[in-house]
Amino acid sequence: MTLDLAQFHDTFFEESFEALDQMEAALLKLSAGAVDSELINTIFRVAHSIKGGSATFGFGDVAAFTHTLETLLDELRAGKRQVSPPLVDVLLRSSDLMRDMLDATKHKRALDKERVKALHGEIEAFLKSAAAKSVAAPAAATAAQALSGTSERTGWRIHFVPGSKLLRNGNDPLRILRELQTLGPCVIRVDARYVPPLADLDAEECRLAWNAELSGDIHEDQVRAVFDWVEGECELLLERFGAAAAAAPAPVAAPAVAPAPPAAAVPTAIPAAIAPAASTAAEASRATNAGEGGSIRVSIEKIDELLNSVGELVITQSVLSQLAAPLEGAEELRSALGQLERHMRALQESVMRVRMLPISFVFNRFPRLVRDLGQRLGKKIELTMIGDQTELDKTVLEKIGDPLVHLVRNSIDHGIESPEARVAAGKSAHGTIELNAYHKGGNVVVEVKDDGGGLKRDKILAKARERGLVGPDEELSEERIYNLIFAPGFSTADVVSDVSGRGVGMDVVKRNINELGGHVQIHSTPGKGSMVRIRLPLTLAILDGQLARVGNEVYVVPIVSIVETMQVRKELVNSIASKGEVFRLRDEYLPIVRLYDLFGIQPDHTELLDGLMMIVEADGKRVGLFVDELMSQQQVVIKSLETNFRPVTGLAGATMLGDGRVALILDIPGVITRFQTKESRRESAQRAA
Amino acid sequence: MIPAVKTTAPPAVADEPGAAAPVAAAPVAAASAPAVPVAGRVVLGMACTIHESQALRAHLLEKAAHPGPYEIDGGGVEQIDTAGVQLLVAFALDCLERNIPYTWKARSAALEEAIRVLGVAPLLESPGVSSFVPGGAA
Repeated sequence: MTLDLAQFHDTFFEESFEALDQMEAALLKLSAGAVDSELINTIFRVAHSIKGGSATFGFGDVAAFTHTLETLLDELRAGKRQVSPPLVDVLLRSSDLMRDMLDATKHKRALDKERVKALHGEIEAFLKSAAAKSVAAPAAATAAQALSGTSERTGWRIHFVPGSKLLRNGNDPLRILRELQTLGPCVIRVDARYVPPLADLDAEECRLAWNAELSGDIHEDQVRAVFDWVEGECELLLERFGAAAAAAPAPVAAPAVAPAPPAAAVPTAIPAAIAPAASTAAEASRATNAGEGGSIRVSIEKIDELLNSVGELVITQSVLSQLAAPLEGAEELRSALGQLERHMRALQESVMRVRMLPISFVFNRFPRLVRDLGQRLGKKIELTMIGDQTELDKTVLEKIGDPLVHLVRNSIDHGIESPEARVAAGKSAHGTIELNAYHKGGNVVVEVKDDGGGLKRDKILAKARERGLVGPDEELSEERIYNLIFAPGFSTADVVSDVSGRGVGMDVVKRNINELGGHVQIHSTPGKGSMVRIRLPLTLAILDGQLARVGNEVYVVPIVSIVETMQVRKELVNSIASKGEVFRLRDEYLPIVRLYDLFGIQPDHTELLDGLMMIVEADGKRVGLFVDELMSQQQVVIKSLETNFRPVTGLAGATMLGDGRVALILDIPGVITRFQTKESRRESAQRAA
Repeated sequence: MIPAVKTTAPPAVADEPGAAAPVAAAPVAAASAPAVPVAGRVVLGMACTIHESQALRAHLLEKAAHPGPYEIDGGGVEQIDTAGVQLLVAFALDCLERNIPYTWKARSAALEEAIRVLGVAPLLESPGVSSFVPGGAA
């Protein structure tokens, strides 16, 4: 038989990267001074699992490095070594290196051997340092004492029943039990009652089970770590015995380990009917255990296929509803279609939820970032994260990471003042950065807040005037002034010295968020801090839209962008030289975007009073969108133009309507950009003429 | 329960005693079993892992067709895993059920370690035959 271990590589890498995230989070908690055995065990378990997996898959370099690291962690775990900042630094760098090594292995790139060697040397230097020698009672001695009977024995009774497929999956109880025996004195007894006659035995199925008695003061996590790789593939019961068991209830209720039957009494003659039944029961139990709170990994492609199919079903259901609408005496049909619609909606939401992940996947990188950058800049910064379980679509989540990193970096680098400056300003020497995520309406809001010096309004405005971004006499609201930092290339250190860099790359941040259909706002109070608020759609697959007709075309306007809709009287309309056609809405003048003109189509109406004006907003800019008429509001399934055709400025995608027509979905920021470009060209042409 | 017997010769298993060089072979016990004819000699190959498990199973079944007694030579085993050990346990249990004695000619260090770690030593002692090595696990 050829067991292709390569099929497990992706899962191994994926799980290892997740485990390294946990390791890093635990290390960061250690560095904050919260030394506890649970944290150390978590860190150890990660290294241990990666070592085991790497060895199994033949990733020798990773296994060798992790082995050395594990030795150091073992000393930490055994209390032989104290947690110190230099040690945490080395461990953090080791976790970085392991990540890079795994990444290189995954992508079949060469490893940075020099870096590996250097860090390996640092770890070995730690291992040789005197700190380790200041320890009392090595574990082995303790175990020996326990066995000698000079004190009451403590330890674990372990009942291990491998699943029948465990061997096929590349796991080997021999390796597991060998490792278990490294934890302390261990008596192992095999249970062979389910081994069928040789002729009936599937050679690749595991039919053996084991009972073990492990002596010593061993933490449950250490025992469980040995079985990490077969979790969900075996039945594992742990029962503590001895003094520790008396002091604390056993974490897992488990039957006492029965002494192994003598060889002659091994029940080999179990009737065939019983053995499979018992085996099936054991497997059923394993299946139940795996199902309880368990999870399966499914590729994102499969989820997307499912989502796409559900999207098509929604469209079909919509077509059916539309066909049934005019039918007379079809109440029952319409009622059934109404029910179908509700079920479709529920199904769609369920599938959407599968794609949702907590934002902690992104937030988790920030403790490290804040720690490292704060240390480098000599700033004391506390990071608070709120709502890290807020869920949003995986694609949105993947794309929001970099903009958030940029914002947090900016807060650390340029927002939070030095401890001396803060104290001089009457603030605490410790600055704070707060990340907050929450759901609001159909959106996810993420806020990055700091209590630093805030943006300098006057300097930003002066610079904007200097660059011609704002007219000499033009008055702007606070919000629009702060939004200037998102203008491409606006901010440079020499210009806005005390907020230097605030705008560097901020245009990219904004562009990325806009591309996700999100919006950015910035609020700032001089001397007290700033807050960037990002509003993101929950998903990129479905949109709540308002259908609007222009001539024979139907457009979908994202409801999130619509401020209000009105009819515009002629007397409210003006033409301004620099802005073209505008209309007055209460205290402000808004440009009129004639959609038919923008997309070159034949409308029903060109007179403003005959059509409707939709006031839409994006990036703090408002315009009036002139259309022939409004139709219904509905949730639409977004089909990518980029994938199916090509990107078009002003269009976010397309969808199919209930009557089978294709409707284009407007991208309001893009519509405004397209409009401004068109206006600029028109003006240039006029000037040239 | 007597297993059905097949006679396929496995390539992963040495055909005759001595075909695979014993690795740190342990001393043979002074067994009281009768002299074993060639047909009853079970010679384990260098590798007895899940990859060779089908072949090993076939070899053991072929030997089981012989009325016994058996002599098992595990001196050449360099690599063995749980799948390999489980087949030996199944073979031993079949012998026990059929009341056929067997002896161990040799066990390599790798085999010995696997037997010890997996705690199967008591199962691999033929009834009525003195212990090959002290039984029990670590």
